[in-house]
Amino acid sequence: MITTPSDPKTYRQDLKRALQNQFLGATLDTFSTAYKASRAKAFEGMDLDALIAEIAEGKDGSIPHLEELFAVFKARAEGSGVKVHVAQTAGEANGIIAEIARANGVKTIVKGKSMTAEETFLNDHLEKEGFVVTETDLGEWIIQLRHEGPSHMVMPAIHLSRGQVAELFTKVTGQHQDPEDINGMVKVARKQLRQTFLEADMGITGANFAIAETGTIGIVTNEGNGRLVTTLPRVHVALVGFDKLLPDLKSALRILRVLPRNATGQLISTYVTWITGATPCTTGPNGRKEMHIVFLDNGRLALARDPLFSQALRCIRCGACANVCPIYKLVGGHNYGHVYIGAIGLILTYFYHGRENARAIVRNCLNCQACKAVCPTGIDLPHLIKEVYRSVLQVEGDKPLKNRLLSRVLRDRKLFHFLLRRASLAQKPVSDGPYLRHLPFLFAQEHNFRRLPTVAATPLRDRWNRIAPRPEKVRHRVALFAGCLVDFVYPEQAEALLRLLKEHAVQIDFPPDQSCCGLPAQMMGEKETAQEVAIQNLKAMDPARYDYVLTLCASCGSHLKENYPKLLAGTPGLQVQAQQMASKVIDFSSFMIDVLQIPSGEVAGDALTRKVAYHAPCHLCRGLKVTRAPRELLERAGLEYLPSKDEDVCCGFGGSFSIDFPELSAELLSRKLANAEATGADTLVTDCPGCVLQLRGGMEKRLGKRLKVRHIAEVIAASRAPSPKK
Amino acid sequence: MDEQDRIKLLKEKAEAVQTLVADITTLRQAFDYAIEVTKRQGGTTIAAPSLGMEERTLLGELCRKAEITLLTEDLRGQAGSIHAGLTLGDWGIAETATLVLESTSEDQRIATMLSETHVAVLPKSRIKSDLMELESELSASMHAAPRYLAFISGASRTADIERVLTIGVHGPQELHLLILDDEAA
Repeated sequence: MITTPSDPKTYRQDLKRALQNQFLGATLDTFSTAYKASRAKAFEGMDLDALIAEIAEGKDGSIPHLEELFAVFKARAEGSGVKVHVAQTAGEANGIIAEIARANGVKTIVKGKSMTAEETFLNDHLEKEGFVVTETDLGEWIIQLRHEGPSHMVMPAIHLSRGQVAELFTKVTGQHQDPEDINGMVKVARKQLRQTFLEADMGITGANFAIAETGTIGIVTNEGNGRLVTTLPRVHVALVGFDKLLPDLKSALRILRVLPRNATGQLISTYVTWITGATPCTTGPNGRKEMHIVFLDNGRLALARDPLFSQALRCIRCGACANVCPIYKLVGGHNYGHVYIGAIGLILTYFYHGRENARAIVRNCLNCQACKAVCPTGIDLPHLIKEVYRSVLQVEGDKPLKNRLLSRVLRDRKLFHFLLRRASLAQKPVSDGPYLRHLPFLFAQEHNFRRLPTVAATPLRDRWNRIAPRPEKVRHRVALFAGCLVDFVYPEQAEALLRLLKEHAVQIDFPPDQSCCGLPAQMMGEKETAQEVAIQNLKAMDPARYDYVLTLCASCGSHLKENYPKLLAGTPGLQVQAQQMASKVIDFSSFMIDVLQIPSGEVAGDALTRKVAYHAPCHLCRGLKVTRAPRELLERAGLEYLPSKDEDVCCGFGGSFSIDFPELSAELLSRKLANAEATGADTLVTDCPGCVLQLRGGMEKRLGKRLKVRHIAEVIAASRAPSPKK
Repeated sequence: MDEQDRIKLLKEKAEAVQTLVADITTLRQAFDYAIEVTKRQGGTTIAAPSLGMEERTLLGELCRKAEITLLTEDLRGQAGSIHAGLTLGDWGIAETATLVLESTSEDQRIATMLSETHVAVLPKSRIKSDLMELESELSASMHAAPRYLAFISGASRTADIERVLTIGVHGPQELHLLILDDEAA
C-alpha cells in the first residue's frame, strides 16, 4: 500500500532519507542524461512544437465532449460484442471488475501494466476478494513481488538495482540468480510467467487510447505481455480513464507518433495493439472473448469542466515530466508523487487521491519549467502545481506564517523597501564583507549550505540619478526592471549594464515605483498578492512609453512575460497592458546581441576571466526561451566557453524553495558546482541574480579551488571600466 | 518518398531495433528462409496459420523434407511447442520499421506471440513511408469489427532492470522481415 506523508515535516524526513540512497541518485542521474539524448534523437527532423500544438488542440477539442464521445464509443463497442461499464469512483471500478470475475468463474488473473489500475488499487481489492492476480510487465511484476507501488509511470522498478532484483528472483525461484546476468533474470520472468499466462482465466489491461468512432482500444507496450493478456485468457477487462477517449483514429495516431518518442526515446514501442470488439477466442463463450471495458470517472468528468485544470486531462502518461525533473532525479518517484509520479503526479494526486496525499508533495516544485518544456501535450505543469498548492492553502484556510508575512509586505512597496533598508543597517554587526556572518533568524542550520549576501548599503534606486547615462541621441528607449536582488543586493550588476550601454544611444529609465515582480508570491500560492503586485508594476512602468523593458533577472523577466498576461487575463485595460509589457520584456544578452548587435571585439572579459562555464537559468532558457544569445555574447567577448554537464538544469535556488527544502537545494547546488568545476573554467557565468546568489553563496562554502561566480553583464563589462565600490 | 527510399528507410530503422531484414522475390524463398532459421536455431516446428491452401501444401512439403513439423491450426493446444511463426504482413511503415499484421484469428496471434522467432513476409508495394499514410486503411479495418490489429516493431524487449535493454521478455526473441518484390514476381 502506498503511503504519502501529509505533513511537510515528515515529508522532509523522507526526502532526506532518499538523498542518502546513492544507487538511486546515480541511476536517475544517468537516466536523465541518457533520456535527453535519446529523446532529441527520436524527434530529429520533426517539427515538435507544431506536433505538440496539434495534439493539445485535439485533446482540448475532445475534453469538453468526453460524455458524448463515450456514448459513441459505447454504442460501437456494444455493437461488436463488448460490455461497456461506467465507474464513477475507484471503488466502484474495482467492484465492477470483481463482479465480472465472479460471474465468469474466474480464479486467476493476469494483468498488463495500467496506471489506471494503480490509481484504483485494483490488485489489493481483487486479492481481498480471493482472486490470484499476477502482474506480467516485468517491472510491475517485480514491484508486485516486493509489495511496492511504481516509482515511475513507464519504468515502475527504476528505483531497484540488479542486486535487489537478483535477491528477489532467488527467493521466487529457489535458485541462485546472478545479479550481473540481467538477460538471465529476464528469462526467469519469461519462464515463470509463461505458464501463468496460459492458465489464467481473465486478463486485465489499461488502454492508451479509446477511439469513439470505432469502439477501439489501443495499447502501447514493449514486452509483449499486453498481447498475451488480451489473447490467452477467455475474459478480458480493460480499465480505461474517460480522458483516454478520442474521436477518431487520426487523433490516436497523432499521439502515437509522439508518445513512445517522448517516453523512452523509441520511434515506436515494440507493440501497439488495436482491439475492436470481442475477438475470436477458442476458450471463450461461443468462441469469442468475453470482453468488458470499464470507463473510470473518479473526478475526470468534473476536471474536464474546470476552466484551468482541465488541461491536466491532456496527459498521455509518457512519464517525461519525471525524467527531466531535477527533484525526481534526487529522490525518485516514491518521494515524488502518490500513485501518479512527477509533475503531473503532483497535480493528479490532488484530484484523484485527495488533499491529504497532495498537500506536502505539491510544495516540492522548483518552478524550473523543465517538465513544461518536454510535455508532449503542452500542459503548463509548473503553473498548475502552483495552482494546486494555492487550492490546498485556500481550502485549509490556515496559511503558513511566511505566506501571510510575504503577502502583507509585498503588497506595500514602501513598507517592503523600508524593511530592506532597515536590514541593510541591522546587518552591519553580523556582516563579513559582502556576506552575512550568521544566518538571519528565519533560517535554520540546514540552510547554511551557502553564504547569504548582505543587502547593499545603497540600493540601485538611490544611485540611479548619479549613474544613469544621458545620451544626446536616443535610438532605444528602455525601462529597467531591476527586481529586488539587483536593486537591493547586487546593484553592481546594473552598473555593469550601464557602462556597456554608454555609447549606444540608449535612454534607460528606472521607474522608481517599481517593486518586486511578484514571482515569490506566485511560488507560494499567493496568487492575489501576485496580481496586486503586477498591477503596481504596470502602473509604475507604462510599457507603451518604452521600446523595451530590460531586465538582468531571468526570473523577473519570465514572470513579467509569461505570468503577467495570465494573472491579469480578463481584467479590463490591464490585460492589454500586461500583454504589451510581455511583448517588450528582454533579457540582457538578447538586448546586447539582437538589439545593439555589438560586434566581436567591442567587449572583452577582464584579464582574470578567460575560461568560463555557463549556467543557463531556468527562467532564461525555458521561461524566455533564450539559449543562443548568452553563449554568443561570451564568444564575442573573446572568452573561452566550456560547456558543462546539465548546464540547463536548475541550480536549486527556486526562491522560497531553497528555504522549504534546503537539503534538496544544497544537493542540486553541489552537483551544479561540481559540473562547472569539471570543465576547468576559472569563472562560472550566469544571467540571473537569483542564480548568482545561490551559486556564489555555495562556492563560498566549497572546499578547495573556487570558481568566480559572476553575472554575465559584469563579465562583459569588466574590461571597460574599473568596478566602483558599493 | 519513392519505393526505393521507403525500403531504404525501413531497413535503416529496422537495424536500430534489431529486426533482421532480407530481400526475397518469391514466397518459396520465404519458406526456405523460415526453415533454415528454424533449423539453425535448433527448432523443430513452424506455425503458419494464415497461408492459403496452395502455399500451405508447398510449405508442408518443404517442412517434411527438412524434418520440421508444420502447425497450421489449433495452436492454443500446442502453445508450448512453437518455435517459429511465419506470417504474411499486411502493411509496413518505413519510418518506424513497423510490421502491421491483421491478427484477428487467434491462431495468428498465438503464432506471433508464443513463438521464439517471428518471420514475416512484407510485400514491397505495401510499405508506406509513415504512420499517418496508413490512416484510412487502418480505419477501414477497425470499422469491420471484431478486429485485432497488431503493430510489431522489432523483438519483444524490456529495460525494466536497471534500464538495461534486454530482448525477448514475453514475445518472440527475433523478428525477421522478408521484403517481397511483389512487382517483379
